[in-house]
This record gives sequence, C-alpha cells and structure tokens, in this order.
Amino acid sequence: MRIPILKLHEYLLITIQVEMDDQTALQFQEDLLNKIHDTGAKGVVIDLTSVDMIDSFIAKVLGDVVRMSKLMGAQVVLTGIQPAVAITLIDLGISMREVSTALDLEQGLDKLRLELEG
Amino acid sequence: MDNLIVQMINENQETLKNNWLKEVNLFKDKEIASYSTTLKLSEETDQQFFELLIKHINYHDISKDGTLDQFFDQVLHTGLPLKYLTQGLQIARRVILNMLVEAEMEQEKLAALYREIDSWLDPILNRVVENSSQIWERTVSIQKTALLELSAPLIPVFKNISVMPLIGSIDTERAKLIMENLLNGVIKYRSEVVLIDITGVPVVDTMVAHHIIQAADAVRLLGSTCILVGIRPEIAQTIVSLGIDLSLFPTKSTLQKGMENALEITNQQLISNE
Amino acid sequence: MDIQSCVEVRNEWDIVSARQLGRNMAKELGFGNVDQARITTAISELARNIYLYAGRGKICIEPIDQLGRKGLRIVALDNGPGIREIRKVMEDGYTTSGGLGAGLPGVKRLMDEFSIESTVDVGTEISATKWLR
Ligand SMILES: Nc1ncnc2c1ncn2[C@@H]1O[C@H](COP(=O)(O)OP(=O)(O)O)[C@@H](O)[C@H]1O
Ligand SMILES: [Mg+2]
Repeated sequence: MRIPILKLHEYLLITIQVEMDDQTALQFQEDLLNKIHDTGAKGVVIDLTSVDMIDSFIAKVLGDVVRMSKLMGAQVVLTGIQPAVAITLIDLGISMREVSTALDLEQGLDKLRLELEG
Repeated sequence: MDNLIVQMINENQETLKNNWLKEVNLFKDKEIASYSTTLKLSEETDQQFFELLIKHINYHDISKDGTLDQFFDQVLHTGLPLKYLTQGLQIARRVILNMLVEAEMEQEKLAALYREIDSWLDPILNRVVENSSQIWERTVSIQKTALLELSAPLIPVFKNISVMPLIGSIDTERAKLIMENLLNGVIKYRSEVVLIDITGVPVVDTMVAHHIIQAADAVRLLGSTCILVGIRPEIAQTIVSLGIDLSLFPTKSTLQKGMENALEITNQQLISNE
Repeated sequence: MDIQSCVEVRNEWDIVSARQLGRNMAKELGFGNVDQARITTAISELARNIYLYAGRGKICIEPIDQLGRKGLRIVALDNGPGIREIRKVMEDGYTTSGGLGAGLPGVKRLMDEFSIESTVDVGTEISATKWLR
C-alpha cells in the first residue's frame, strides 16, 4: 500500500488514512524523501487525524522522516494527533520534543509559512 | 408457608396491622430527629409496606413476585433509611410471633411455626440489605466519577485560549484524568494555548512535576502550547532544589502574566474601552 | 466472548491482525477510547518483538473476570532466543536492534499488570493485563 503525497505550491501534504503496517510506513519514508528531492519542497505537513494508534516503530519512522527531511532542507509539521494517541505515546516515553506539531492541516500550513517566510 | 399461619394472619390482619403500625411509629418517633423530613412523610409508605407483606405471605416466596423488591428499591431511592425497612420487617416478625403465642397452642407446634416465620423473613431481610448495598455502591461510584470530572475542568477563556485551574493534591489517578480532560478540551475548544494554573496545588514534588511535564508534552503533541502558571516562590524553590527540569516549556508566576503571553502567541490583544 | 483468541505472528501483517483483534475485543468489553489505544499499542509492541527477535510466536487475548472485576489480558508467547538480562530490557531506551527501546517498558506503563518470563534458548512469555475502570 502507498500513501499519496500531494504537492501544494512549495509544500507537500500527506493525509494518513490507512492502518499503517511496517512496510507501508517504510515505503512512505522513501516516497516522501524522493518527493522532496524531486520537487525541492520547503515544507511538509503530515496529517494524522485518522490515525488511531502509533507504536514505537511508527513513532521512530515518523521521527526519522522529520530529521531526514530537515537534512534535505524541508521542515515537517505533524498535525491532528489524537488525544488517545498522544497519551499512549507519552506512556511509551516518546514525547517527540524536536518535532513540530499543529492542531490541524490548516494551522500546520500557517506554522510552516510563519517559520519559512518569517 | 404453613397454611395454618397464613390463615391466622389473614384472619387477624387488622390487629396485626394496628400492632405493627404502633411499633413502627414508636421506632419513627425515636429516629425522627435524624431523618425528620423523610420519615414524617412516610405514612402512605407504611400502609403499602404492610399490605405488601401480607400479599407476600399469601403468595409465598420472594422470587416469584418482584413487587417487594421493587418496593424496597423505591423506598431506598426516596432516601428513607435502610433501618426503616429492617425495623419494619423485624416488627412484622414480632407481631406475628406475639399472635402465635397468644393463640395458646402446643409447644411443638409453636416452635415449628416460629421456624417457619424465620425462614420466611430472613431471606427478605437479606434481600433488603443486599439491595441497599448495591444502591450505595452505585451511588458512590457515580459520585466518584462526577467528583473526578469536576476536579479538572478545562475552561475556554478567549478564542483559542483555555485555562485549567488545578486545586488540591495530584496523584496518579487524578493525573490521568487531568491529562484526558486537558487533551479532549484542547480538541473541543481548538485551544492553541492552554494555561495550567497550579496556584491551588499545595505540594509540587518530583512525582507531581513529572505528571505536569507529561501533560504538557501531550498537549504539545496535539499541536497546542502549554504554559504553566501560578508558580509560587516556595514551589520554584522545591522545583529547583529537587533538580526538576521545567525549562522545556514556558512558566509564569501568575495567571495574568501567563494570559498576556498566551494572547501574544495567538496574536490577540485586549483593548480597553477607556 | 469468554474464550481466548490467538493470532499467530510470523510476518509484519500479522502484527496488524493482532492489534485489530485487540482493539475489537477491548471495544466489546467496554474499554474507553484511550484504554483501547493503550491495549492496541501494547499488543503491537509485543507482536513486533516476537516478529523481530523470535521470528515467530503468538499473541493471545482473553477477557478476564476476577470476582466481578473485569479486564483484558494479553499473552505473548514465543520459542525464540529468550532474554538474557530482563532488568536491562525493562529500561527505557535499551535496544539491541536500533529501535527506540520503548517497547517493553512502555507496555508495562500502558497496562496495569505486567509479567515477563524468559529462558535463554527456550523462549519468552509476557503477560499484561488492563482492568476496566
Ligand atoms: N520476545 C523477545 N525475545 C527475545 N528478545 C526480546 C524479545 N522482546 C524483546 N527482546 C529484547 O528486548 C529489547 C528491548 O525491547 P523493546 O523494549 O521492545 O525495544 P526495541 O524493540 O525497540 O529494541 C530488544 O531490543 C530485544 O533485545
Ligand atoms: Mg520492541
């Protein structure tokens, strides 16, 4: 399964709507990095509103994606993390403090704009 | 039950009732000080109680006819004391036994009837106590949830700014509830900034600080910002001397300062009308 | 509903089946949405460990009722290499695979009760319980 990546001006938008298995997560990581490379995108919003579980593996993939994208010159914002998901992440001891977040896609885009355009 | 008793009870119903009511009223007079309003209003209930007992004696065991059970439930729900039911049943036992004694019958027969009465009444008594303890447990658990929810409300103050005032000590169970209320509130009110006010938290030790840090981390994961306010001097002292690191998110001494900060973050301003 | 259900874990997709089973059972038992997520996440961690470190094994999930106290128990079983130093693997951040090392200590925090038994070269059995509040 592949997660679709949309391009909007110089940003990439991803809405994760599938139950992520490990392959899908790793494939997504690869696809996103390639897309950043191909488009020269400066910012990425990954919307997790429909995701009802993030375990330590998926958390690691997401954290890695953020760091790798940054290396390639793209800022990533995670949006829409649900309360139940946030609580389980905290229980797991994963607080993702270095990752930028926003309440929803719209605010995620605002945040990118602010960070990139000053 | 032995036909003889049933027959005797039915024949002497009026006397039994009068004796029963007399004793019940004696009991009520004694207890009235503590339960004045509910007990005073219970005359109709007395009538109903006795009639149901008679009916019950005629139709045998309790399980066949739910009306007694229903009656007990209803009585307990109106706030009459459990004592009223247990005393009422004991008094019923007493007046029936008195009647048997006065009927001048053989010792053996009398003893057998005594036992009959006991085996009729004891299950009813057990049932009453069981019912009431169930009601009580249910009430306690409902109140406990209500109290827990009250204990950590998230209040939307301005557009995209909410406040959670914490009052009292914070243990692990309450910390979980605070976290859930906080996060659900952030989503519900779309709060970009939440102020956690710990003015009312008497002691901030490593454990409490840990819970607060976790809550702030979770709020951040949702995409909102947490500002910790109400840091009294002694709390600042304990936090630093315990080596707790709160530097990862903003803290302010007062709610007012925190609110100014929150307005700044959300690009809002308070305009005075003067 | 009283019987336990098991999922064989042999590949990555079995991890998904195991956690879906867990979520459904948790929902049916009346767990709230946060506890459903906790249970699902715990199962995912345990199933992935089986897949990663033992190659194969199974996850069993059962409703429990002890003196009227209801809950759900997860049992993760494998005949893999076992764990040499249980105290180490229960520390946050300890990993032998470049993971986050958050799985086992995380499961312990996600659930109410947790126990682990492991014998080197024989296998590992982990059991974790969540009570209905
Ligand atoms: N079922 C298992 N069999 C053998 N070793 C295991 C098993 N589960 C966990 N381990 C060991 O415990 C370590 C910690 O596991 P965990 O806390 O899940 O973190 P991670 O999987 O990220 O390494 C693993 O790196 C592995 O060495
Ligand atoms: Mg693991």
